[in-house]
Amino acid sequence: MLHARVVDIAKEQIELIKAEKFIASSKCGASIYFVGTVRDLNNDKKVIGMTYDSHDALVIKSFEEIYQSSIKKFNFDNSVVFIEHIKGQIKLGEISILIGVACKHRNQAYELSRFFIEEIKKKTPIWKKEHYEDGDSEWLEGNPIQKD
Amino acid sequence: MNIKLELFGASRDFSNEGFINLNLKEKSTIRDLRTAINKFIDTDFEGNKSYKKMVNSSTFCSEKDEMVSDNYKILNNEKIAIIPPIGGG
Repeated sequence: MLHARVVDIAKEQIELIKAEKFIASSKCGASIYFVGTVRDLNNDKKVIGMTYDSHDALVIKSFEEIYQSSIKKFNFDNSVVFIEHIKGQIKLGEISILIGVACKHRNQAYELSRFFIEEIKKKTPIWKKEHYEDGDSEWLEGNPIQKD
Repeated sequence: MNIKLELFGASRDFSNEGFINLNLKEKSTIRDLRTAINKFIDTDFEGNKSYKKMVNSSTFCSEKDEMVSDNYKILNNEKIAIIPPIGGG
């Protein structure tokens, strides 16, 4: 079971409680939450915030494809995945991505959670613009999108 | 023919409107579109090398939200999205 959304910061925030509710299941004995936040330093520059840009339709498609490939790769019974990624400008410490995973066993949950974040980095069309203390801002270079 | 290029990531620096309109020859492909964007960079951004590198590393997405190859034939008035190198999370 999958929940996948792009959350517009102008309208709402990413909330851990929504993930907890979605992945709660008596069939699963292990839950993992991966929370990505904005950190204060990159390449020796003081960061004060980040703007995330997203091709929403392709992002959702990408999350669904990653979920399908996880089923093929791991074949874990009853796994549940919650993914939300932010779009818009957020401040230091605010959540950019939340991946909640529930599986029968802990090793499955760790494996699945790691798989999702690594695949998203390679395959999901989201871009970051850093905002610095001196008022400057810059799009991060990124990597060409990988296709299956 | 006219196409509307939707901008994402670093390509948003091309216009504050979130898109640019480009005029291409009939039966143009994504390869031709890439050439046209590079010409646009020559004209409007003095051939900015960083922008050209970004365009040449980008992929493109059709109006049907499908990633398309360089041989994809673009339709008149089609909306194409540029997908520069990514980096979410």
